Amino acid sequence: MDRKPLIQRKTGISYKTEEKTVLRGFDVRELANAGYTFIDGLYILFQGRIPAENERAMLDYEVAEFLEHSMSPSAAAAIGVMNGHPMLPAAVGASIATFGGAHGPGAQHGYMMKKYLDRAVLEHKTVEQVAVECVDEYMDAGRAVMGMGQPQHLDGDPRAEPTHLKQEEIGVVGVYLKFQRALEKRFYARRFAEGRSYVAVNMIGAGNTALSDMGFSPNAAWTIGCVTRGYSCSCHALFTLKKGRAWGASRNEPMVQMLDLSMIKYIGPEDREVPLQSEREAYAMNELKTGEFKKWVI
Amino acid sequence: MGDLKDVAVNRMTGKVCDERIAQMKHAKRRVIGNLGNPNLLFDYTNREIGTLPDDNRAHFKWVSEVAYKNIHRIVTRGYDTTELVEAGYGVCDVLFIDFQARIPLVEERKVLDYILLVGLEDGLSNPALVARLVARGKSYLTQAAGASVFAFGEAYGAFKNFGYMLEKYYNMIAEKGISAADAAALCVEECYHEDHFGIDEKYVKDPTPRDLLAYAEKTIAGKKELKYIPFLKEVVKAAQAKIGYVEADFMAAATAAMMDLDFTPDAAWCIMGVTRAFSAGAHVCEEIERECERDGFDTYGKTLTPKEWYDGPTDRPVPSLSERSGFKGGQAQTPEEWKKMWDRKAKELSGSGFAIDFVLDDARKVVHGKKK
Repeated sequence: MDRKPLIQRKTGISYKTEEKTVLRGFDVRELANAGYTFIDGLYILFQGRIPAENERAMLDYEVAEFLEHSMSPSAAAAIGVMNGHPMLPAAVGASIATFGGAHGPGAQHGYMMKKYLDRAVLEHKTVEQVAVECVDEYMDAGRAVMGMGQPQHLDGDPRAEPTHLKQEEIGVVGVYLKFQRALEKRFYARRFAEGRSYVAVNMIGAGNTALSDMGFSPNAAWTIGCVTRGYSCSCHALFTLKKGRAWGASRNEPMVQMLDLSMIKYIGPEDREVPLQSEREAYAMNELKTGEFKKWVI
Repeated sequence: MGDLKDVAVNRMTGKVCDERIAQMKHAKRRVIGNLGNPNLLFDYTNREIGTLPDDNRAHFKWVSEVAYKNIHRIVTRGYDTTELVEAGYGVCDVLFIDFQARIPLVEERKVLDYILLVGLEDGLSNPALVARLVARGKSYLTQAAGASVFAFGEAYGAFKNFGYMLEKYYNMIAEKGISAADAAALCVEECYHEDHFGIDEKYVKDPTPRDLLAYAEKTIAGKKELKYIPFLKEVVKAAQAKIGYVEADFMAAATAAMMDLDFTPDAAWCIMGVTRAFSAGAHVCEEIERECERDGFDTYGKTLTPKEWYDGPTDRPVPSLSERSGFKGGQAQTPEEWKKMWDRKAKELSGSGFAIDFVLDDARKVVHGKKK
């Protein structure tokens, strides 16, 4: 049996021999036999260290609460992909890949915090001062303040404030929570002063702050958040596979299906005749001249 | 609007397929190409235009047995997720709740935790490599981590196939009234050559899968009846008798243990694929930090393929377009000719796909196999 690696790489993460798999220096079998948990494994993987007990508890809390979020872009993607009945991993992978600048932008939030904490160091400012600057600069520029606002949970993500409180309760508070608390205070005050609607903290603002205080880099935190959601999305994909109708368009279901033809609302150009090839050049030239098409270009 | 009997009737069935068409406008079109052919299933020159109107069925909803949320709560299988974590439940508990709609025994949670920890990292294996390659294009981390899950198939990480294999032969004990040893021997006889068999020499020196099984047995014993772990041991015994010294690999041990935790093989496949994606994220970070930092990200067209690696058709001149008119097409006219062409291409043209069997037995059981 040829067990050579496919590509050659130096790696500081792990090695695997015929005898064992070693993660950041620890034999994973020995870790498991000694009673360490999967959550401990995430700290070892991303930080190369065994966490304190309260850190382990905090991450377990966060991963468990973040795992399921019902219908979000990630679950919708998993269901949509599974409607075609590919292999399950296609739906699961697609769900994880939905996370970007709008859905779970953990890394962006992490780097936003880093930018202003760097400034605090360089310019000898307090955490509270740079948090205020962060809000003001983002809002003045018309940019969304990362970690604030969720289109479904209009009064604030139900998980968010409890996550802040849990951090405080079990003592995993660091500079990030201080920054986030100050950011939220300034954000609410400014929107109120400007007569704008209430926009509450979301799960990135809360969860990513906690992950940062747990010592995870912005990208590690992003991985943990997005991949965790992959668990529940696989569950939604399985439900679709085992109990749903393939394609999502059956007319035999009592309820209109997701891809029923009546679900399509078309707002593009009016139906029009296809020009014959003999008419084509003049037709195309006229389109170019009128420029009507430009309003449809995306 | 024309008469529907003329314009919308299916020429095979003689019926209009959807009564909503009657509410729609029709547009008379000139004949283009073959679209005036009377053998077409309906009249292409007088089709309805616009989107289909609503019918009298209930409006579309996302139907789910798994979870719902409203403005103030998120609920999985009846439990509010915030209440769950405030009550001290953790990630492994929520996996049981999401996939099985139940709160696990503490012992079950411990076994799942053990499996996830041991399955978290696998060195530079396929998911990590896929994630690293995707990351080299400077894609989002989430694209790379998501792509790592695609590496799980019916050979690598074949938790689903292995699980259904184990279940099939375990069920024979009751269905056929045979002993566990006989069912295990049959499993080996019929499946030992399969990519998902999960019992080979890979783990003879690494005791991790045996430790996992022992831990699961010790932890759950007395709390619930184990079915799949004992049966896996029978299969290993039968495999050793037939093949020599082999052991269950991690995939086999983890799947059997998860099935004894009442996860389906599909759920095991998903959970392990996602678990490995966490470490894929670390590999992505490392690839960017170490490799791309040194060599830069990969841009389109950057990577060369040495000629000495090439064993396809020899270099040849490109014919002129006028010469093309003398070329023969590739259509077989008889089954014998077709078979000959298929086999020749399978043998001579790697990358054409002719050497791979793709069997779609059932829409829910896609089976890919390399041609034996």
